[in-house]
Amino acid sequence: MNTRLKLVLALCLVGAAVGAGVVVTHGDASRDRTALSNQGGPTIAIQGLSMKRAPIRSGHLLAIRHGRAFYRLAAVNGNPCFGVGSATDVGSPGSVICAKGGFPSGGNPVLDLSVYESSRHDLKEFELFRIEGFAADGVAAVQFLRPNGDVALTVPVAGNVYSAASVPKGPIAGFAAVDNSGKRLWRSP
Amino acid sequence: MKRTAICVIACACVAAVAALARPSSASAGWCWPSCSSYGYLGPSTSTYTGCWFSSGEVCSYYDSWFNVGLAKTCYPGCDWNYNTTGVVLFGFENHDRIRGRFTVKGAVTLYVRPSEVSMSGLLRAQATWYSGPASQVNAAAIG
Repeated sequence: MNTRLKLVLALCLVGAAVGAGVVVTHGDASRDRTALSNQGGPTIAIQGLSMKRAPIRSGHLLAIRHGRAFYRLAAVNGNPCFGVGSATDVGSPGSVICAKGGFPSGGNPVLDLSVYESSRHDLKEFELFRIEGFAADGVAAVQFLRPNGDVALTVPVAGNVYSAASVPKGPIAGFAAVDNSGKRLWRSP
Repeated sequence: MKRTAICVIACACVAAVAALARPSSASAGWCWPSCSSYGYLGPSTSTYTGCWFSSGEVCSYYDSWFNVGLAKTCYPGCDWNYNTTGVVLFGFENHDRIRGRFTVKGAVTLYVRPSEVSMSGLLRAQATWYSGPASQVNAAAIG
């Protein structure tokens, strides 16, 4: 076997190994460098949930903002979940999301749990009712966008959590993550 | 007369016992398309039950719901971050407004209580197509 053939074979092997690695990890959040460094406080009991598909017994309180509690949770099967709820009833989240692949990841730096509303039947146009969510390390703020792309409101992120005391009136059609310099890192579909 | 009164009282007692024995609304439930399957929620999907939007929405009957859950698959496909291109709103509605949270995630399970969207009383649980292709979902509410 000549040197050229050996080199080609070695390159093929390396390429196959890289490809297999990508396929196996399938973009898993744990494989990229995106992180949520806020680990929260000590483990607390989680109650009041009636979730057949994602039983949760314990979690960590990440923050309390504007009367809302933000949780990092783990389903009994080990899947990562996140939740929010009233700060007057800590340990009892009112909303929970459990997603395969976890959070965050390079393609998912923001987990928006904001509440939207509409009072129109003729148009699927929604306004913000409450702003809250989680953001990966490196996301300094979350911008909420008008249908024409204008920024309606910029909400700072602290401790991987964002929340606003009030919401802007008018339609919202997405949000974006920006870094400390204001550079847009990601935009929602 | 006395016999009639006894009969009326007996009937009332039977009715009262039956009413107490009947499962209360607290155990009521709603599922779409069923409690063990997924359906396609797209722009023309409807339960034809007077939901907030005449199309692109499925909704329950009015009840005092405890929470609504939504399970969404990767249909028609997920990227490597388990995002789909179908955007769905899920939550609650009444005669005045519809409220909820959006998701594009595939392989996801979400739950929300009425108090989370600052609503109470008799409500409809809802899942609404917002944009993109149809999403494959199972929606369920418990009372």
